[in-house]
Amino acid sequence: MISRPRFRKPVKEEQAAGPENSLEKNRPGVPEGMFRKCDGCGKTVYQKDVEEHLYICPKCGRYFRVGPKIRIGMVADRGSFHSWDENIPETNPLNFPGYEEKLKILQEKTGLADAVVTGEADIRGYHTALGVMSPDFMMGSMGSVVGERITRMVERATRQSLPVVLFCCSGGARMQEGILSLMQMAKVSQALQRHHQAGLAYIPVLTDPTMGGVTASFAMLGDVILAEPGAMIGFAGARVIRQTIGQKLPEEFQSAEFLQNHGFVDRIVKRESMRKTLWFLLSAFDKKRQEMERSENRNSSEAISGESAGRADRKEEKDLKTEKSPDMTPWQRVCEARSLARPAFLDYVQKICSVFMELKGDRYFGDDRAVIGGIGTIDGRYMMVIGQQKGRSLAENKYRNFGMPSPEGYRKSLRLMKLAEKFGLPVLLFVDTPGAFCGVEAEERGQGEAIARNLFEMAGLTVPVLSVVIGEGGSGGALGMAVANQVWMLENAVYSVLSPEGFAAILWKDGKRVQEAAGVMKLTARELKELGVIDRIIPEERPADREDMEELAQNLKSRVREFFESCRDKTPDELCRQRYERFRRIQDGK
Amino acid sequence: MYQKILIANRGEIAVRIIRACREMGIASVAVCSEEDRDALHAHLADECICIGPGKPSESYLNAEQVLSAAVVTGAQAVHPGFGFLSENTRFAQMCQECGIDFIGPSPESIEKMGDKAQARRTMIQAGVPVIPGTSETVTDESRAKALADEIGYPVMIKAAAGGGGRGMRVVTEAGQFADLFRLAKQETAQAFGDDRMYIEKYLASARHIEVQVLADRQGNTVYLGERDCSIQRRHQKMIEETPACVLDDEMRRRMGETAVLAAKAAGYYSAGTVEFLVDENRNFYFMEMNTRIQVEHPVTEMAAGVDLIKEMIRVSAGEELGFEQKDVVPRGHAIECRISAEDPERGFLPCLGTVESLNFPGGNGVRVDSCLYQGYKLSPFYDSMLAKVIVHADTRQEAIRKMRSALGETVIEGITTNLDFLYDLLGSRWFAENDAASINQMLEERCGK
Repeated sequence: MISRPRFRKPVKEEQAAGPENSLEKNRPGVPEGMFRKCDGCGKTVYQKDVEEHLYICPKCGRYFRVGPKIRIGMVADRGSFHSWDENIPETNPLNFPGYEEKLKILQEKTGLADAVVTGEADIRGYHTALGVMSPDFMMGSMGSVVGERITRMVERATRQSLPVVLFCCSGGARMQEGILSLMQMAKVSQALQRHHQAGLAYIPVLTDPTMGGVTASFAMLGDVILAEPGAMIGFAGARVIRQTIGQKLPEEFQSAEFLQNHGFVDRIVKRESMRKTLWFLLSAFDKKRQEMERSENRNSSEAISGESAGRADRKEEKDLKTEKSPDMTPWQRVCEARSLARPAFLDYVQKICSVFMELKGDRYFGDDRAVIGGIGTIDGRYMMVIGQQKGRSLAENKYRNFGMPSPEGYRKSLRLMKLAEKFGLPVLLFVDTPGAFCGVEAEERGQGEAIARNLFEMAGLTVPVLSVVIGEGGSGGALGMAVANQVWMLENAVYSVLSPEGFAAILWKDGKRVQEAAGVMKLTARELKELGVIDRIIPEERPADREDMEELAQNLKSRVREFFESCRDKTPDELCRQRYERFRRIQDGK
Repeated sequence: MYQKILIANRGEIAVRIIRACREMGIASVAVCSEEDRDALHAHLADECICIGPGKPSESYLNAEQVLSAAVVTGAQAVHPGFGFLSENTRFAQMCQECGIDFIGPSPESIEKMGDKAQARRTMIQAGVPVIPGTSETVTDESRAKALADEIGYPVMIKAAAGGGGRGMRVVTEAGQFADLFRLAKQETAQAFGDDRMYIEKYLASARHIEVQVLADRQGNTVYLGERDCSIQRRHQKMIEETPACVLDDEMRRRMGETAVLAAKAAGYYSAGTVEFLVDENRNFYFMEMNTRIQVEHPVTEMAAGVDLIKEMIRVSAGEELGFEQKDVVPRGHAIECRISAEDPERGFLPCLGTVESLNFPGGNGVRVDSCLYQGYKLSPFYDSMLAKVIVHADTRQEAIRKMRSALGETVIEGITTNLDFLYDLLGSRWFAENDAASINQMLEERCGK
């Protein structure tokens, strides 16, 4: 090691001795706004880096809040945004001192009239009403002007049959406007109710922060609710909760992720995918496009669907006769249906749908991971695809609860079916469950009610519903997702009132007589077809294996497509009646 | 002229720049990591600011920290050296915004040349010959394969954002392509956060010859001769010399003029290097331009009699070049050897340790650029290069003898180095015969050990 004083430094000596030092004259400096501090990692980051990375911290990935101008630039097609209702006069109903001055200063500073900008724009060609709240204007708080402007946007969208996309960002009600601020919640919600009645799509996007009265009104009323990663979303602020009732709060409390786990957010969408996600949803919910497709297809599809229906009938008969493995015993089929090698719901989705966008949550309590649902496309046609998902490993099975849905799983599926009904999308269901989850929690939250509600509501769905049993069809847990216009089964799937183990235990007090039980229960596809419980058997060339399922999946895909094609011209009434008749007929297997 | 310059680097190049500043009467500010508090550059500079922990990303690569050190000390310019922030467009821009001169080219030039695919396009437009290869970057494997098939094997896979040999793979036959492409892409994504690749013809026994250019802000651009850097271990240069014996005067002039053309096409000022490959038929192709001072710059300094660091500083301060092309008359032969803390017996594995005793060579035409001193402790965070020994003599043969003599005098104890390996290599018939291909093959075999 060397010590510093050992070196002599000529320049330093000269400069110290020199008469003048011009260094001070042109000292460098950091211009204002060149850097900003990230609240996430506390590090200094270069503003230009932030701007070019969609306002995401390049060091830790945290999202910076952005105002309307930048947000519109991120999601709308260039130059397509046109502002609405810019000149709504501000009010000071409480004559709150200094409020008007404060508004004036903020208006000058931000160039905004108040905390929201509304208007119309195209998102990848889809015309929509678009609102964006501003974090820079009194933290997006909702006063009369904000409420009025959003209400007018929703009303105009209803008149013009436009969907609404609204980027929420708000600390809540604007205290300076007192109770009038509270009334905005009702006003906007009412307008959204009419918009909903008109069958139009509303997609709120929750950004950091979405709190208080905004959460308790329009933020939570979307057909699909999106959120940005890490956004703080909640009703009562964490500090208020701590101070009021002294409760200890969990980690990630009121984050977007927390809300999603509790069933209130469909998707957490990264900024780079926001535009694409919105576009996909808008196009899925666009009834005009669907009608156009329908009329385009009508002439040709009539011939095709008539013909293919006939063909399908004949094919079906053939299926029965040419069962690929007719010698398997019922018990062997039960084992096959439970095999880990068998494809699970998501394996089919991957093979059948070219796009699948999962939507989460029941909007009451949680998101059940044993039930997965979302919007998928098959050959360009949008549909709601929902299925029960089993795991393959122990860890995965724990995560998926062995494919046993909880009440929130049925409630999520019902919510998605209702969404499909609103936008005229067919519903494709996959059944693969040992049964609905039995446990204290499930009972507490009303497992029976959840299943019953599904049977009841599914009876009235005005869109075609198809249910396919791909593995185990376990009792009420299966039926909760099988009140359909047609129910199909894979050749080696089983569908029964309870498991052969349970059957043997109850009737013979001997849980070991499972093979015998399976034999008498009539749980195989062929037996159920004969009973009229199911409508079609999908043959399995070999017992289905996810490593080798291409043929099976393609066969299923083309049949699904044919089926929904044949439903195209059925009226909602016809569909309901058909479903009613289908279950009405089943009595004694005749 | 500046009164104070901050040197945003470490090791021998930081020492080299501090010395140049001192000769010009400019005060120097060093930055160091916590790991480097006792490094030579930290002690030698007039001021020193510690900018963070040892990990480069938190200190020498941390643009905000380096910039605040410059602002706090009132440095009017920053010399980035090589590596670290030297080719970082963002950093150059940030300096500009703070009213600090980045001693190097403009951010625009760095950007233009930094992306290899873009540089290629610029060169094609300027009429500079380039190696047959893809005109666009690729990330998709099957598309890349198709392009490689079209170019014809062997091909070289390179990272668009690359440098230092990372993400590079030579593919000799179609069957290997998929695996090697995947590997290269993975490596590139990790190193640069950008997995765009491009593919070019691999010229098997081509020589790697680069031309040093120097340009001022007024648009005067000269070339200062070439360097033959063909001896490389896994794309890392080991020994460099000037002039390149395979060139005749006519070709030297053509390559020089092409390099000037390339620099002008990029709107270049400051010192820079245009790298070429020269094939067996003595065709030369543009490979890339390095928009910074290079490790091997001393060989050019020795032969051409120009101090490149001082010129960079002058040009950056707005001065015009003090000479023209006709004034540049390189003389004699110069060779540089890079002495590194690595073990040639174990595939050139980097080594650590503390310098226990040290002797450097001297004498007429012998130069040592180093950051070592007795008691210096090597840090695992940084490059393993310890010193550069440069010699200058009338002929190549004399220069080789001088280098052997100098390496023979060099003693570094306490750390395993490649000194003996270099000594033997300089004495080999291969080196005497300038047979880079055989040497590289031997190096490759040793690397595999």
